[in-house]
Amino acid sequence: MTPETVTEARSIARRGIAWPRGLRRFARNGALEILALAGGALVWEALGWGLRLQWLPPFSKVMEALLQFLHSGVILANLGSSLQALLLGFSLSLVLGLIVGALMGRYRYVEKALDVYVHALFVCPSIVFAPIFFAVFGLSDASRIAIIVVYAMFVMVINTSTAIRTVDPSLVEMARSFGCRERQIFFRILLPASLPLVFAGIRLGMGRAVKGMINGEMLIAFVGLGALAQRYGAQFDAAKVFAIAMAVLIIGLLCNALVQILDNRLTRWAD
Amino acid sequence: MIKVRALSKAFGGYDHGSAEVLALSDIDLEVRDNEFVTVIGPSGCGKTTLLRIIAGLIPYDQGEVSIDGRAVIGPGPERAVVFQNFALMPWADVLSNVAFGLEIRGASTDQCQAKAKELIKLVGLQGFERRLPKELSGGMQQRVGLARALAVNPQILLMDEPFGALDEQTRRLLQEQLLRLWERERKTVVFITHSMDEAVMLGDRVMLMTPRPGRVKEMINVPLGRPRSREVEKSSAFLEIKEYLWDNLRAMQAVDA
Repeated sequence: MTPETVTEARSIARRGIAWPRGLRRFARNGALEILALAGGALVWEALGWGLRLQWLPPFSKVMEALLQFLHSGVILANLGSSLQALLLGFSLSLVLGLIVGALMGRYRYVEKALDVYVHALFVCPSIVFAPIFFAVFGLSDASRIAIIVVYAMFVMVINTSTAIRTVDPSLVEMARSFGCRERQIFFRILLPASLPLVFAGIRLGMGRAVKGMINGEMLIAFVGLGALAQRYGAQFDAAKVFAIAMAVLIIGLLCNALVQILDNRLTRWAD
Repeated sequence: MIKVRALSKAFGGYDHGSAEVLALSDIDLEVRDNEFVTVIGPSGCGKTTLLRIIAGLIPYDQGEVSIDGRAVIGPGPERAVVFQNFALMPWADVLSNVAFGLEIRGASTDQCQAKAKELIKLVGLQGFERRLPKELSGGMQQRVGLARALAVNPQILLMDEPFGALDEQTRRLLQEQLLRLWERERKTVVFITHSMDEAVMLGDRVMLMTPRPGRVKEMINVPLGRPRSREVEKSSAFLEIKEYLWDNLRAMQAVDA
């Protein structure tokens, strides 16, 4: 056997099946994801036509509704206000989450004092606070933003505090041995060392912020995409509800990709 | 000069809800300027604790620790530490890791870069300035740790089992490199180790410690000349001290093993 055939045989043994070279490259380039999505759409389409259920319109009908929304500008008009609340709410929970999380991670007594609250609020379904916020802020943007904050903040607090607490203590000791003050230890050691885990929390927080945005709009504010979903839901117009869900899904994926890009840039060392 | 007088240190106790453990008891030690002292003892003898106290990283309960007559109350610019697990910042490249101490101690960026590059060359890592720690072997990582400590030009180098995590071949190479560096530019060195060869090979004196509580059993002079090469390993003096250390260490271990 030539060395080449040995390598080939080994790689076949490892994968079990000998995939054609072209297909392998295709799969490597993320085409498998596209295939999976296309497959899902096909199954959906087939079930839609086959079962003829009122709540399951075929995929093509949903896309049609989505294109109609986009064309008529309904989505864009409502998107602006939704995204504004999302941006404000997420930024607020990010800043609060990082500060509270960092303090809890660094100082035992802060952690002892706040831990039970943070975990309680994290576990509690955030939507139960909707009526309270409605009572406090009324029908204003503030209640939507507040909902987003309770949705998104606590997972970031928990991740940040865990990240800071689990930084290799010998790095902190090293920094102290060179005379670092507490502020230098924080910015030069704790912050960079905890970034990978902090970013994992930010990704989760971003997902929850999108949920909070829609839930807030559906239950208290009756504006934006959430209000649209609410209205078409009440009319039992499944295609339109799915179309809104699609729009939300795309927003969620885009937000996630944005965080991912930042994450990849800042924490490449941890891969 | 490092002076340690009647030093005691306990861990745990009332505040921590467990029984107090005496880590160090009544330690006396004097390390002269430019002297290389190695510290050896079984695990649990408090040798790392002693080093961390001299480094000013942890407080002590009783006794005195001073450097050139000034009591140690924290880390200071005349001391630098080399850590057993290297303690390199995984997100920073070799150059930034070596420059870390300099930056913290207020050198300008140009000075830091120049000095760091000089030290990187000294430890034989030129060409690796932009590599991350994870891209280096263990031996190379510890050379970064050594360069970082030497970069701040300390009088005193405190080394906590610096080669303990390395394989034997790498360890021997680094021992030789450290010897050459030290013979060129004398520093006061306190070097913790659990290797008898290393203790005798490197030290002017070997401090032998006993465990629970950590005490000084004996200070042993190493009558081997400088500069030292591997040749001394065959000398009768080297072998005698090594055997003496082993006799003592085995007697201490017999209780536990």
